[in-house]
Amino acid sequence: MNVVITPAMIGQVIISGILSGVLYAMVALGLALIFGVMRIINVAHGPLLMLGAYTTFFLYSTFGLNPYLTVPISMAVLFVVGLALERTLVFRVIDAPELSSLLLTFGISIALVNAAQLAFTSDLRAVEYLTGSWGIGPFAFSKSRVVAFVFAAGLTAGAFLFLTYTRLGKAVRATSQSREVAMVCGIDVGAFHRLTFGLASALAAAGGALIAVIVAIQPEMGQIWTFKSFLVIVLGGAGNYPGALLGGMLLGLVEQLASLFLTTQLSEVVAYVLLVLVLLVRPTGLLGGRQT
Amino acid sequence: VRRVAPAALVVVLLALAVYPTFGTGYGLMSVLQVFMWIALAGSWNLISGLTGYVSFGHVAFFGAGAYTAGILIASSGWSWPLAALAGGGAAGVLALGIGWPCLRLKGPYFAIAMLGLNEVLRALVSYFERLTGGGNGLSMPTLDATVPIYYAMGLTAVIVTLAARLIIGSRFGLRLMTIREDEMAAEAMGIHTFRHKLLAFLLSAIGPGIAGALTARDQGYIEPLSVFPLATTITMIVMTLFGGKGTVWGPVLGAVVLFVAQEMVWARYPYIHPLLFGAIIVAVVLAMPRGVLGLLQTKYRLPRTI
Repeated sequence: MNVVITPAMIGQVIISGILSGVLYAMVALGLALIFGVMRIINVAHGPLLMLGAYTTFFLYSTFGLNPYLTVPISMAVLFVVGLALERTLVFRVIDAPELSSLLLTFGISIALVNAAQLAFTSDLRAVEYLTGSWGIGPFAFSKSRVVAFVFAAGLTAGAFLFLTYTRLGKAVRATSQSREVAMVCGIDVGAFHRLTFGLASALAAAGGALIAVIVAIQPEMGQIWTFKSFLVIVLGGAGNYPGALLGGMLLGLVEQLASLFLTTQLSEVVAYVLLVLVLLVRPTGLLGGRQT
Repeated sequence: VRRVAPAALVVVLLALAVYPTFGTGYGLMSVLQVFMWIALAGSWNLISGLTGYVSFGHVAFFGAGAYTAGILIASSGWSWPLAALAGGGAAGVLALGIGWPCLRLKGPYFAIAMLGLNEVLRALVSYFERLTGGGNGLSMPTLDATVPIYYAMGLTAVIVTLAARLIIGSRFGLRLMTIREDEMAAEAMGIHTFRHKLLAFLLSAIGPGIAGALTARDQGYIEPLSVFPLATTITMIVMTLFGGKGTVWGPVLGAVVLFVAQEMVWARYPYIHPLLFGAIIVAVVLAMPRGVLGLLQTKYRLPRTI
């Protein structure tokens, strides 16, 4: 493989990395919220993203809706699904040992993936809506990725504004800092657990809806997203929400660089090596964060 | 019960030992599979049942063992018993490599790192085509060794179960369980938790490595999709949880009961069965966290080392 690597190619890689990085950050933010507020790693996060992708696909293929208009619908649907999951199952393991919550959400994840296989079959489905790319100078901007970037950046910014400035958002952060103190301040912690789980599922659904326009979807697509979201959180520092943005960008860049210098096949291997290295050298994340 | 149980165990083992002389091909294959599941579930139990650190990618060791043995047999002409031991060794080395960075930390890092390991190994095996045959798979010379492999797999299952019995009855096992119940307290009592977790993880990887190697030889052909299925991890987790995690005989009970159920009932509904496994995990975690054996232990005051 003697490919000459030009500066333009590096520029292209950086652009693609940032475009996908924000998407990673948005999805990971959901996982980070659940971890921060409920002290649970939700293994079913990726499969919830998959459900969001299918919601968009069916709204598009059955009712002919513009897929970008379905993003809020997918988010609303998955908000309710997340709320229901928390209300019926997940709340039971919040104070249980880690083993219980990991295994419970793992069980939910298996059930969701296989139910999706039964209901939707394993066929690849594609939303062929926005194809091709815009050329600016030597760079190509894939249209669907640019739109996904805009949506993800907007939603991520919205989530941060919500967390920073609204009373509800402040209550979410307070619960994440100390549940007991939040309780003493009159916060209905149980309700905030449900709200957090619902919001996190909605963020995953937005990711799924946007991904459905970029690549073909199938029921097993979700698992790798649980892993990648977790990697983003670790890179940014667990419990550090702005860190998720940095982590997402970094993962996007590393993956793109890997596909430039090695092959696309190995981009997951490179991401994995990155995780192991960070755990070895700086387990509290690049920005630092609360040690848990 | 205490006097009958050892005698019954000897009778069962003897019956299984002479079974190949009269058993049918299908029967032999089924018992071989049960042995494999006992070895896999029992091994998962050593790390996850005892220390509480959940391994979501234990099939990675199965696959690593299968490919190590497959390559040694196909390219270097090793005999299969040696290749099986090498498979167990390779899985152990892999466990040390992953456990070193991930088990130093408390919390969910280990679980998620294991969730990704399987995909990574599959990608690596597909990439290094010259060594592994890539997506085309790897064929070994034909050899009819089903009966010796039956005994080897049976021996693996016995050793894994025996190891669990020895560990659970030992101070080492008690320390592992202390880590599970309260890692901070364990550290405060002077237990070197990282070393204990790493050793438990190493022990839990060798059994699946050997089982993978034996399965590879038995089938004579391996490919990335056949030796790294997520379903294998799921099945060993379900079997251990159902039987009772952290117990000696729980994984054995779970492996036998769920394998029989799978063959008898669920084989007719192949699509429902993985969905059911997800539901069983959720139900057991919520309603019966200590599994069937745990319930019996409490109800009939059975010894802890059962």
